[in-house]
Amino acid sequence: MSDWEPKIAAFLCNWCSYGAADLAGVSRMEYPPNIRVIRIPCTGRMDPKFFLAALREGADGVWVSG
Amino acid sequence: MITFKLNGQTVQGEKGQYILQVAEKFGVDIPTMCHHKALDPAGMCRLCTVEVFDGRRTRYVTSCNYPIWEGMEVKTDTEIVREGRKLIVEMMLARCPESTAVQAIAKSYGIEKPRFQTGDDTCILCGLCTRMCERIGANAITLTQRGLDMRVDTPFSINTEACIACGACAFVCPTGHITYDKVKEKVTLHPGQPIPSEYDMGLKGRKPVYVPYAQAVPNTPAIDRTKCVHFKTGGCKVCVEFCGVDAIDHSMQDETVEVNVGSIILAPGFEPFDPSKFDTYNYAKHPNVITAMEMERLLSASGPTGGHLVRMSDHKEPKKVAWFQCVGSRDMNRCDNSYCSSVCCMYAIKEAVIAKEHAGAGLDCAVFFMDIRTHGKDFERFYNSAKDKHGVRFIRSRVHSITPVGDSGDLEVRYVTENGSLVVETFDMIVLSIGLQISPAVAEMAKNMGIELTEGRFCKTDSFNPVATSKPGVFVCGAFQGAKDIPQSVVDSSAAATAAGEILASARNTLTKVREAVPETDVTNARPRIGVFVCRCGINIAGVVDVPSVAEYAKTLPYVEFATDNLYSCSQDTQETISQIVKQKNLNRVVVAACTPKTHEPLFQETLINAGLNKYLFEMANIRNHDSWVHRNNPELATKKAKDLVRMAVSKAALIQPLKEAELDINPTALVIGGGLSGMAAARSLARQGYDTHIVEKSDRLGGQAHNLFRTAKGEDVQKKLAEMTADIEKDPKIHVHLKAALTKVDGFVGSFKSTLSSDGAEQILEHGVAVIATGGSAHTPQEYAYGSDPRVVTSLELDRKIIAGDPALKALNSAVFIQCVGSREPQRPYCSRVCCTHSVDNAIHLKEMNPDMNVFVLYRDMRTYGERELLYKKARTLGVIFIRYTLEQKPVVKVAGGKLLVTTTDPIIGRPVEIETDLITLATAVIPNRDEKLANFFKVPLNEDGFFVERHAKLGPSEFATDGVFLCGLAHYPKPIDEAIAQGQAAASRAVTLLARKKIYTSGTVAEIDPRMCSQCGVCVSVCPYSAPSWTEKGMFAGRAQVNPVLCKGCGLCVASCRSGAIHLKGFDNDQVFAQIFSLSEAV
Repeated sequence: MSDWEPKIAAFLCNWCSYGAADLAGVSRMEYPPNIRVIRIPCTGRMDPKFFLAALREGADGVWVSG
Repeated sequence: MITFKLNGQTVQGEKGQYILQVAEKFGVDIPTMCHHKALDPAGMCRLCTVEVFDGRRTRYVTSCNYPIWEGMEVKTDTEIVREGRKLIVEMMLARCPESTAVQAIAKSYGIEKPRFQTGDDTCILCGLCTRMCERIGANAITLTQRGLDMRVDTPFSINTEACIACGACAFVCPTGHITYDKVKEKVTLHPGQPIPSEYDMGLKGRKPVYVPYAQAVPNTPAIDRTKCVHFKTGGCKVCVEFCGVDAIDHSMQDETVEVNVGSIILAPGFEPFDPSKFDTYNYAKHPNVITAMEMERLLSASGPTGGHLVRMSDHKEPKKVAWFQCVGSRDMNRCDNSYCSSVCCMYAIKEAVIAKEHAGAGLDCAVFFMDIRTHGKDFERFYNSAKDKHGVRFIRSRVHSITPVGDSGDLEVRYVTENGSLVVETFDMIVLSIGLQISPAVAEMAKNMGIELTEGRFCKTDSFNPVATSKPGVFVCGAFQGAKDIPQSVVDSSAAATAAGEILASARNTLTKVREAVPETDVTNARPRIGVFVCRCGINIAGVVDVPSVAEYAKTLPYVEFATDNLYSCSQDTQETISQIVKQKNLNRVVVAACTPKTHEPLFQETLINAGLNKYLFEMANIRNHDSWVHRNNPELATKKAKDLVRMAVSKAALIQPLKEAELDINPTALVIGGGLSGMAAARSLARQGYDTHIVEKSDRLGGQAHNLFRTAKGEDVQKKLAEMTADIEKDPKIHVHLKAALTKVDGFVGSFKSTLSSDGAEQILEHGVAVIATGGSAHTPQEYAYGSDPRVVTSLELDRKIIAGDPALKALNSAVFIQCVGSREPQRPYCSRVCCTHSVDNAIHLKEMNPDMNVFVLYRDMRTYGERELLYKKARTLGVIFIRYTLEQKPVVKVAGGKLLVTTTDPIIGRPVEIETDLITLATAVIPNRDEKLANFFKVPLNEDGFFVERHAKLGPSEFATDGVFLCGLAHYPKPIDEAIAQGQAAASRAVTLLARKKIYTSGTVAEIDPRMCSQCGVCVSVCPYSAPSWTEKGMFAGRAQVNPVLCKGCGLCVASCRSGAIHLKGFDNDQVFAQIFSLSEAV
């Protein structure tokens, strides 16, 4: 399990967290390349089916931030 | 062009290029230690050795300085080449066994220990430093001596004037042999100072080429001419080599541009007070005494420590932090700033709370203050929670000096508590809450422009024209007008914009140009034909991500007809190329994999419009900000991630549809609800900009609370000014005043409201495009201090009316007492009414001036004469007004005994009750809002628990609501004095004009849409929407079902996620589109 890497689907709010992730880049911060970001207009858009679909597609974790 | 073979692949390069340069272009990696793009190659380290076959024999050459020629065959990774490199690395390691950089490269060749005798050097003699020094133009260091003794040094090994301490040698040194400290010690005669970052308050350094801060607009780097080496030596220009678009031109000169303008707005801001001259505070000498501005940076996630709270002397986490208030404010003794800076109490409390959040609740925070001034909206609540919930200590004491405790870095302070005892306490760091002041440069500018300043050097303004300077046509906003916080600055800025707009209204839209529209291609029912453009962004993306392979991969994805990579996708020529390719290849969807949609989506959408495509047929994959910039040490996984992101974007793009932006006319009429000063100011401003404006006033006259006020803090006669303003309103043909009137119904939305007005029983319908809510407030009626039972106890407004009426009894009074905070800052009304301290102090002055022998007392809790109102407080004390503080626990007691009016209060200095016999008690009563829930419902705008309206954003949107087309000003927002009420009236008008001036509004394409056939009428969407966009359909076959007004919809998708029937679709982010992205994750995750 030592080389196991989690796969994370991230749903980020366009207005805050998506911008924050942009700023992390502008600030040249580093983080592991395990997440795949899906931009949503607001976390209010999050549908429970999105979580389930992501998990079914093999994601080990779902991150919603907004 | 020269054609040759590189590892079997036929490649081309320019004449004069070296093998290494061509290899780099074709993505062939050759290791080097002595190569630098901006320097001439030297072939010093030999690590880049490759094999060259000329048709007859094989040679081994250094690729960095071996020019290419026609027909050569180069192999970069043969067995012999690898062995040769390994031997070179082994010898380097033998020479420099302690260098971590050499150890790392040795490890990559599988060498743990060299077979040769080891030395103790750290320099591999690559010569990067000496070549760089030459390029810089300093020529201070060189390779001296020969053979075994060769080393990097200055001539004769003595420190030299030639070295300018630029640090470029240390920067390029691959092994860490040269450090900046070593340069200062052994090379240069210059002092060598890092360049302090202005943004980080000097807590961190910056480069001569720099972006001032991450959010700077424009977000492009600038060259600091005073620090750039090129401007000192004429050399360097290394940055030019690295700029992929040739944007750097060192020969550019400053230009003076003359512009012809009709109005000027001054917003030069303030400068933070420099506490260096307060020697007893040791700010200049001790690193652990910092200013609040430095503390802001320390607490910021983008600051020098990433938000981790440490003290500067030893980077230890502090256990105890103190804030000293009023440093450089309210001080005539050690500086010349007798005014209050208005913002420091609140920022100190905020910093203390954030410090506790960052460092944990165990952090002890103490604020030393004179008066806590939390007079802003919701600020008093924040102060209370800092005290009660977060445990911030508030100590009413002005500390004289800060004494460092030996070399420990700790700081000792002595202070006297309220009960008179002396306390000695040690802190780990101390924050000086420095004040705001106007810089000498700004004062000079004002002088040159002929603008009058106040005693505190702020711009002089009139309370009834709060943003107009003494010079017509020149307006002011922000801290130059007076020390103020963000919301007030934002109000001012809008007000200044509208004031300028009033005089320029006739010129509006006279310099506009109309763009030619490209007809839109109909893509309905067309099979998706997707074009993918992968951006290299110079080296920003291509330096990490293998861009060509991402583009190649994109070609394999479904519906992708075309894929390529661009050097800079956002450049003008690439934009045109993309537009042409769209037309040539008949593409109907475009995916750009590049920086981020947050900054570049509008630009690419513009490209689509120019190519005749609907702008919504665009999708972006973020492979720079979310990928190459954050995974630069992991190119392989970054490339994989880029492919995943492109695949997800393509799968969504295949499902996106062209969207329509509906166009609606805006009714160019405004409705102002409330005819007080602030509503009048809004109406006057709207009318002056050409918009018909209706004022709806419930009473029988305009003016509201202003009728009860005697004079402003600046001494203006309120009644005289009110009469002038009322006359202005009444004679303006564009303003229609409806007195004794109220709204009974409001229909419609931004741009087309329909309000029913009831006046004297008659109903009338007003159609308007915008509404300004200025419903005002009133004085609280006290139930204490014998009010109502003794005529000698009056409220502040009643005293003003006596003064206005010229009551002769006032002059004959022997004694007058003012009691502050009557109904404010109490559990049932936990806000500060902002205006009462200044009001009472000014009236106390007036009484004292009428009769200097009168004994005047002000009983207060915290004196909140913010800004230059502080000067009134000072004046009152000079005139002999006696100020006695009381606490909420020990409020003054009023009793009437034998016809005498007696006030008893505990004097905090002697700690005993004192009894005052008085002839008049004035109660500074709270300002309470006219809580109008009906109106709130009409316009679907919220009220807070105190009954004030809730603005769009507490800091950035103080004069408007989240609901489009509805604006806010005056006491309905929060208690405020006349100048601020008028400024906010103008601000509300300003915000309204931004809508009205557009004449039409376009809805966004990405809005929610309800399929009425699926709607089950549950009403969840209607209740959850923060913008009131969904409503019930009233007529037709779908009556009773929900519909979304696209004008009001902000496209958040809350209703879509909440709809239990699946009836709502969010265009641009519909379920199938989001699912397409999720489903294409599967390959990714």
